[in-house]
Amino acid sequence: MLIFLLVASVLLLSVNLNNFWQTEKYPVSIAVSKTPLSAPFYVAQSINAFDSSCVTVDFEHVIGGRAAFSKVLLGEVDFATSSDSVIAFQSLTQQTFVTHAMFVQSDNDVKLITRTEDNIKEVANLKGKNIGVTKQTSSEYFLRTLLAIDGLDIADVNLIDYEPEQLINGLMNKDVDAITPWEPFAFQSHQILDDKITIHDTKNLNTLSFNLISLTPDLASIEKAKCVIQGLNTAINYIASRPEDAKEIVIKELGVSAEFINWVWPDYIFKLELNQSLLLNLKSQTTWLTESHELSNITPPDVVQLVDSRAILQVNPSAVNINY
Amino acid sequence: MKMSLSQRIYFFTICCCTLFILLVASIIRSSDVIELAIKQENYAQNLVTHTNILKQLIMSGDIYKDNYNASNWHKSQRELITLLKRAPTLTPQEQTLKNSIHSQNLSVQLLFKKINNNKLLNASEATKKHLKTRLIIQLETIRSDSEQLSTIAQKNIHQVLKQEVAFIVTLLAICLILLTFGSFHLIKIFRTSMTEIKAAFHANHSGHFEEIKLSNQSQEFESIANAFNAMNEKLSKSTVSLEVMKQVVEERTHVLEELSNTDSLTKVANRRALFERGHIEISRAQRSKNNLTIILLDCDLFKEFNDKYGHLIGDEVLVNICKVCSNEIREIDFLGRYGGEEFVIILPDCDIDGGLETARRIQDSLAHHSVAVKNQKIHITLSIGLATFNEKHKSFEELINDADRAMYFAKENGRNRIEIYQDINLH
Repeated sequence: MLIFLLVASVLLLSVNLNNFWQTEKYPVSIAVSKTPLSAPFYVAQSINAFDSSCVTVDFEHVIGGRAAFSKVLLGEVDFATSSDSVIAFQSLTQQTFVTHAMFVQSDNDVKLITRTEDNIKEVANLKGKNIGVTKQTSSEYFLRTLLAIDGLDIADVNLIDYEPEQLINGLMNKDVDAITPWEPFAFQSHQILDDKITIHDTKNLNTLSFNLISLTPDLASIEKAKCVIQGLNTAINYIASRPEDAKEIVIKELGVSAEFINWVWPDYIFKLELNQSLLLNLKSQTTWLTESHELSNITPPDVVQLVDSRAILQVNPSAVNINY
Repeated sequence: MKMSLSQRIYFFTICCCTLFILLVASIIRSSDVIELAIKQENYAQNLVTHTNILKQLIMSGDIYKDNYNASNWHKSQRELITLLKRAPTLTPQEQTLKNSIHSQNLSVQLLFKKINNNKLLNASEATKKHLKTRLIIQLETIRSDSEQLSTIAQKNIHQVLKQEVAFIVTLLAICLILLTFGSFHLIKIFRTSMTEIKAAFHANHSGHFEEIKLSNQSQEFESIANAFNAMNEKLSKSTVSLEVMKQVVEERTHVLEELSNTDSLTKVANRRALFERGHIEISRAQRSKNNLTIILLDCDLFKEFNDKYGHLIGDEVLVNICKVCSNEIREIDFLGRYGGEEFVIILPDCDIDGGLETARRIQDSLAHHSVAVKNQKIHITLSIGLATFNEKHKSFEELINDADRAMYFAKENGRNRIEIYQDINLH
């Protein structure tokens, strides 16, 4: 009888203790770009990395960082994934958001595609051409950089704005002579049109990073961001140590082919950090954009206001390297 | 499982050796890990240094000028590429950073090559500035990644050191506990077993053949105890035989003594025993001042009787006399054969009247107990002399002499008489 009472007490106590230790979980919603660049989010959810942190996560799948950004600004979601270019473009008009962490970079995500029949071999041949881009995204910034390296300016071409998924139609309908889509649209174009298009080798000409952003946070939001970053940190370590399993997860979650993942994966580097180079990059991009003709009336923002390291500092202090 | 003390000591030693080997293996492993982490740290620091040099080269000169000397840049780039190829073993996380550095450096190389080739003659100053900044940013990313690599390596060193210290302390604590427990346990077994064995030896020495019962089990002490117990059992058996032997010897000695003190024919005390007892009684009478009387009896006409009926009948007569005498004397009185057909009765604590009374009883009894020869009853008579001990007697022989003299008077006065020494009167 005594033994039974003891066992019952221990069980009761353990259940209560479990409840006691179990911290309250914040429900958060994240607008996630439907691209393999968002792999850490899919992996984190698949391996239940968010369960061991303090959030219950709801994904809202969007196409492109611009769409994700607007959801954050409208308050429809708590967080979003966004490329550094989108952050730079958005910061020119308003500074009510912050970047908490960078979680992936790619030196070949955005590509230059032309029609094979047009025989465009070099970037210099784009002068005076119609080029389809998704404005105010890495698509536009990529094109600006390509042109600049070859001594051209954005004013030397005609920019036509497309939604990311519409770019390929613009090219095939001959509305534009070239497009700069990101993945998976470049791969889809390659799959559908094969030798009708030329994908130019632009690897290493532009590095794109994907970041976690939110509206300028209060303390509670910092706590939420910390929890999300905790999950991402676990997922990124998982990707580093078990890349094949991670690829399987992304294939399943995105519903894409293994061929596509193998196409993009070598270009991706998944790492969690918030460092000086992001600040410098944002500053450089915003300054350059404001010095161009069409945005010359805008004052470049104080980029220091665009990052918030409080959350990531609580998760991985060594990943933070910012001199304010 | 029963273990011998030596097995326990071996086991104990093996345990300690195993722990020591574990300790050494752990230290070797840790030193390997630390060595690797130091290599990684040096590698990361070298990357930082090279990146800083490249940054410096970009910042210090105008890369858009025709006369810009790119040889230093290319030299530093080659060194950085060589360094990247000679990376030490890295963890997956560190490898990710290295991949990032490698990728960024490829971007740096490509961008520099494009700028150096094209010189961006038609580009705006803003674009030139932006692309130069871009180069610096990419180098900054490499530096930042290298710093992170260095931090991870340092963290690894700290972590390994912390783990190793914790492991060594734990292991040493286990060793200490084991050593303390083991020594106390062995000392307890030794001390208890030795005390028990010592106690058994003491008991044995005192004649109590006790078994050793060990309270602690150990093969060594058990073998000693078993040998001791076996020896003890044998010893106790042989000691019992000795006692029995002693008893037998005592019995035999008693028989022999009896034989040496008894007359073989009449089974009463012989002359030697008679005199021995006589001396004792004289000494006692002298000490206690009690009376002591002796009776000397002589068979009348025994020679003639022997000649007439033969020696065998003569012997039977003597046995008959002794039988009658034995029946008529007290428990404390002593009958002995003085010689031939003469007998002496010592009567302690008896005066002359008591002696006379006894002599008369013997005479009467003998008169009623005749010896039968060929259906014919033969009556035997005795001449009896009495003497009582007094201060003039120096020895038993003198007392016997007096009794003998009295007996002589009895013979002289016609036999079958009782005579008392001093006043030789006929009774």
